[in-house]
Amino acid sequence: MAEFEPKIVAFLCNWCAYAGADLAGVSRLQYPSSIRTVRVMCSGRVDPMFVLEAFKDGSDGVLVAG
Amino acid sequence: MTQKLFDIAGIGKERVHLAWVSSAEAQRFVEVVVNATESVKAMGKFDPKAFEYELAAVEMTLSGETLRWMVGKEVKITTKGDVYGRKWDVESFETILDAVLEREYQKNLIYKAVKEGHTCVRDIHDKIGLDLKRISYLLADLEKTNKVEFTGMKDRIPVFAVL
Repeated sequence: MAEFEPKIVAFLCNWCAYAGADLAGVSRLQYPSSIRTVRVMCSGRVDPMFVLEAFKDGSDGVLVAG
Repeated sequence: MTQKLFDIAGIGKERVHLAWVSSAEAQRFVEVVVNATESVKAMGKFDPKAFEYELAAVEMTLSGETLRWMVGKEVKITTKGDVYGRKWDVESFETILDAVLEREYQKNLIYKAVKEGHTCVRDIHDKIGLDLKRISYLLADLEKTNKVEFTGMKDRIPVFAVL
């Protein structure tokens, strides 16, 4: 059986974390593909209900980066 | 706070991560992602159906008035003071917030259990595992706020229903 690949929803703030992720991509740094990114304009926009909806819809984890 | 709630609910705070990553910190972003992936992997697959009650209770707690008011008022109460003029320090406030979080979560869990047809205290206890006395105590609270009503006795056992 294949190793369990989790689905993690990542809410990334446009100016900081998303740009950081972009930079990681440009610099060809490897990171796990279990991360599904959602770009938000500010991490303060992320309501706890977003986190809950992610779990209700079947994600295994949530990351909020700002 | 959401992490703490997930811990109380039994879903596990390792599933929710918060990190600050600046736009120049690409390496740090990779570290954060790897860290998050490892801890979620260690927790295993999340089955929403197995946690139906817990998720419903978490949803009601997070979107409920009590929590939202407390979080909204935190800055004012810890800097300017509460309505009696007392200034609270952040730790005491957070301790109270944690207690309210747990209580609201338990109340919502009981509400969900009653809604799904577990109408007497023993039934609710069997379903959600909370202490009998605690369930009775919180049911009284739910009655006061008109969320649950006492509908009568069945074989000398009190029966409740949602409103």
